[in-house]
Amino acid sequence: MNSTLSRFWFCLALTLLSCPSATAGDVVVISNSEITVSPDEVADIYTGEKQFSGSTQLIPVDNAALQEGFLSAFMQMDTVKYNRLWTRKLFRDGLARPSMKSGDVAVSAYVRRTPGAIGYVSTIPPGVKVIQIISVQ
Amino acid sequence: MPALAATDSERINEMQRQIDGLRNEIHQVTEMAHRSGHGAGLPLHGFMDIGFSLNTQGDPVANPPGFYLGSLSLYLSPDFGDNVKSLVEPHFEATSQGATSTDIERLQIGYTFSDAATVWGGRFHTPYGYWNTAFHHGAQMQASVFRPRFLDFEDEGGVLPAHTVGLWGTGKFRTDSGRFTYDVFIGNGHTITGAANLGNPASQTLGILDPNNSGDRDHSAIAGLNAGYEFSGNMSGLRLAIHGLSGNIDTETPTKFYETGLNVTGGSAVYVTNDWEVMSEYYRFADKDKTDATGTHNSWAGYMQVGVIYNDLTPYVRLEKAMLNQKDIYFSSQENGQSYSRQALGLRYNLNPNTAMKLELLNSRFLPDAARTALAYRSLHVQYSIGF
Repeated sequence: MNSTLSRFWFCLALTLLSCPSATAGDVVVISNSEITVSPDEVADIYTGEKQFSGSTQLIPVDNAALQEGFLSAFMQMDTVKYNRLWTRKLFRDGLARPSMKSGDVAVSAYVRRTPGAIGYVSTIPPGVKVIQIISVQ
Repeated sequence: MPALAATDSERINEMQRQIDGLRNEIHQVTEMAHRSGHGAGLPLHGFMDIGFSLNTQGDPVANPPGFYLGSLSLYLSPDFGDNVKSLVEPHFEATSQGATSTDIERLQIGYTFSDAATVWGGRFHTPYGYWNTAFHHGAQMQASVFRPRFLDFEDEGGVLPAHTVGLWGTGKFRTDSGRFTYDVFIGNGHTITGAANLGNPASQTLGILDPNNSGDRDHSAIAGLNAGYEFSGNMSGLRLAIHGLSGNIDTETPTKFYETGLNVTGGSAVYVTNDWEVMSEYYRFADKDKTDATGTHNSWAGYMQVGVIYNDLTPYVRLEKAMLNQKDIYFSSQENGQSYSRQALGLRYNLNPNTAMKLELLNSRFLPDAARTALAYRSLHVQYSIGF
């Protein structure tokens, strides 16, 4: 019994250690579990340069509560430049800008249920893939 | 009891099946709502500008001073939520005669196969150089008041086929140090319309390029490519490209039909960062006279513009020059085909992210030739432009 219990705690500790975790001030980039996106593709996706993962169309969404920190950390730009970039993308290439979600709950729910979706939140939600965690402090 | 347990088990299984079914239906309805949301409603965007001009030319008909209406360019880009894309750009502007002209500047329907391949069909901005597909008709997007004159649209001073009706393939390939980009296109060959009595300076009328929207009436296609490389890392913002286009351009006059083999090659170098906007393009023409067999005539045109971005202020300077051989019927039959040089000095100020006020000084000098007179003047232009 003791041996079984020890094995359980060991496995639990190993699982928790191997899982990525976010702390306050982090931005966690997540994707729908059906696609695979690498961290160095995030900026390309949010600038409309990368639109597909395999044959799945990528659908980036913005998080109103975290957009400023995300743009600064991942894209090295502010919201003015980001909006200008997407105005140009829309006018030049007919690409739709990422839709704006109100916060973590809306982004997590959308990414979980939408094939090809990618978003960013402050804590890791269940049922999605974590692409990258970056501190914005 | 065992019989009851079996019944309960069946009921539980049945309920589980129903819950799974409902869950599946909810998922499908949610997905449908999400998908249909892409096509529900169509946001209207556009660009608009007005302005004021003064000049030393002293010809109030050809170059009238005073306040003027620029253009209103709308763009509609329905989002189908999948690989299908479309883009429509209706454009309204005041002509120099004071009338209002309406044009469908772009009408494109496309299909994206991957990041490396999108195919568009319809009327699009011909993908040569940089400016023509970077700023389109949106004055608010570009730093300067005007485009380089030789790159202007066909009915506003340009000498190149700025619009093409046909097919356009475009895409990008990621590499370790940047992106390789390409554009290839094929479309209706253009026609120079409105020309008459060519070669008779006293009575001649010059024409403009027509992209033949409703079909290639003279069966002369035009094709071209633009291949470039966008650097990343330390050289991020730098783009180098080469371009070329070739095709038969016909000049129609009431008494004679001329055919020119248009051959354009050149390149562009662009460096755009948060602090700098440097753009340059070069075009070399080797046009073959296919009517009177006078041979191949060489011409060239180019510009360089440098802008420095200080927050909302962008001072800029531009040099442009076009040496257009008048033995080439492609230029001599065009209203805008006169050789010229121009220097521009300007300042752009962003009142907010969607509004810009610009001031531009131009020094223009048009060279004389057998059928045109020399002209030199300075002009000042103020433009108030918005994007919405």
